[in-house]
Amino acid sequence: MPSRDDALPKTTLSYFFREAIRRMWVSKRTSFVAVAMIAISLFIVGAFLLVAENLGRAVAQAGGKSRVNIYLDVDATPQQIAAVDAWLAAHHDFAGRRFVSKEVALARFRQYFANLSDVVGQLDENPFPASFECEIAPAVAQSPAFANISTELRSIAGVDEVQYDWEWVEKLKKLINLVNIAGLVAGGLLAIAAAFTIANVIRLTMLLYREEIDIMRLVGATERMIRGPFLIEGVLQGFIGAAVSIALLLAAFLSGRHFLAPRNSLLWGFLFNGFLPWRKLAALIAGGMLAGLLGSWLSVRESGEERA
Amino acid sequence: MRSPGWNLWIQRGLRSLRSFAALRRLRMTTSRRRPYRKIAAVIHFYHVTKRFDQYSTALHDVTFHIEKGEFVFLTGASGAGKSTLLKLILRQMQPTDGQVVVNGRNLKAMKRSQLPFFRREIGMVFQDFKLIERMTVFENLSFILTVLGVPPREHKKRAYSALRAVSLHHKLNAYPLQLSGGEQQRIAIARALINDPLVIVADEPTGNLDPDLTQEIIKIFAEANLRGSTVLIATHDRELIEQSGRRVITLDHGRITDEKVAVPQRAPRVESIFGIGG
Repeated sequence: MPSRDDALPKTTLSYFFREAIRRMWVSKRTSFVAVAMIAISLFIVGAFLLVAENLGRAVAQAGGKSRVNIYLDVDATPQQIAAVDAWLAAHHDFAGRRFVSKEVALARFRQYFANLSDVVGQLDENPFPASFECEIAPAVAQSPAFANISTELRSIAGVDEVQYDWEWVEKLKKLINLVNIAGLVAGGLLAIAAAFTIANVIRLTMLLYREEIDIMRLVGATERMIRGPFLIEGVLQGFIGAAVSIALLLAAFLSGRHFLAPRNSLLWGFLFNGFLPWRKLAALIAGGMLAGLLGSWLSVRESGEERA
Repeated sequence: MRSPGWNLWIQRGLRSLRSFAALRRLRMTTSRRRPYRKIAAVIHFYHVTKRFDQYSTALHDVTFHIEKGEFVFLTGASGAGKSTLLKLILRQMQPTDGQVVVNGRNLKAMKRSQLPFFRREIGMVFQDFKLIERMTVFENLSFILTVLGVPPREHKKRAYSALRAVSLHHKLNAYPLQLSGGEQQRIAIARALINDPLVIVADEPTGNLDPDLTQEIIKIFAEANLRGSTVLIATHDRELIEQSGRRVITLDHGRITDEKVAVPQRAPRVESIFGIGG
């Protein structure tokens, strides 16, 4: 005698997956469009995340130190340099200081920007100024009293500019926020577009299987049983799209690191320091699956139930 | 003077009251938990009218009852309303007026969520077979078993035995379009019977078959009837009906014009078959 058990049969989930995979295989082209849309959207989101992540790492590295750079005039005399050094020696906050000569500054530039070294070589004289790099305790450097000290420093003959690390760190933090917001907005819009693409793909599949769905209803299949494979299909398309986007992102990252950025350059440090952490990768995968679920849910919801 | 519109409304109201009173009587005889187990009759039509639009009425004030374990033929010319009546039993559509009660469930009041579970109690053989073309014969049957929650390890055994009953066990891996109309019909019957349903409803199940196969198919239904299923077959095969010795409901232009037990006029073609069914 027939069972009146309201619960889904145990085999239902495996049936959902088998059917979803089979239907995706049958409608390869439309499924490909859906997967490609998800992959493109998440690739863009991922690229923004990757840039923000690497900038964040640069900020984190800089956050532990507070460096003050005292740039001297290009034509500062040895006496003036000695006077600045004496002034710094008199202030114990500047105990950890290091003199960077013009030659060292030029060598560093050539190392960081290897592709620009030819340009520098064409110049008649070294354009880089000598400087003092001072490691200062972050608390001291960021205290209000330090502003007076830097003003006093600037007034010494031979000092051209006094720069703090945390100034660019702050700027970098703002840039990271901007990148994150831009990534989320662009990615969000694209993810919505991808969800609608998936919705249309699932709608097409449902049209293709309309007769079969009618038969399923007539022989006693529940709406969950009918809709389940379509929902799983959307989720799978989202998952595959996300996986493809991560693979593309990794490929782009590795190629960029290999072909664009020589080691120890600033570009390397900023953009190619490391790939996305697993949490963000998991978030990308989850985002893809969610977009797929949203798309398929939209189409199965619209398809409605039997009009009996 | 009353307008014809008022008259119609009053008639409709009276019919509804009669349906309601009949339903109340039925409810008093049924258990609250599993009503369909205790009632005697399994299919009730109370003053059922099905109107598609103001010019087209498929069924007009149809009332009949089919008892548990009965084997009934529904007959009538094309367009008489046979298919509409069967669709109402499966709740593929709702009546415009009146009530349909099947297995103790008032189909008008039944929740949509209960519909699939109700349909699993009915083995329906459709006129156009409704087999899923992309699935093999085995997969068509296996799908029903999945819907019913039968473990996959039992699918092969049950599908094979259902196909053996219709002598098509060797077509397990064939696709519906590779089979003849008669074979597809028999697969559809095997699918309907695979779960020993409480009620078997068949729409022209012998329409595509030669006389020998017709005997074969009717024998299958008779055996299911013997096992306790109530059977309702819509057909316009007059010879088959007349020789059956079974109750026959005749529809004409949406109205029941005759309800009788057929008396075989001569040596019945299916005598031995109905000998099984009693």
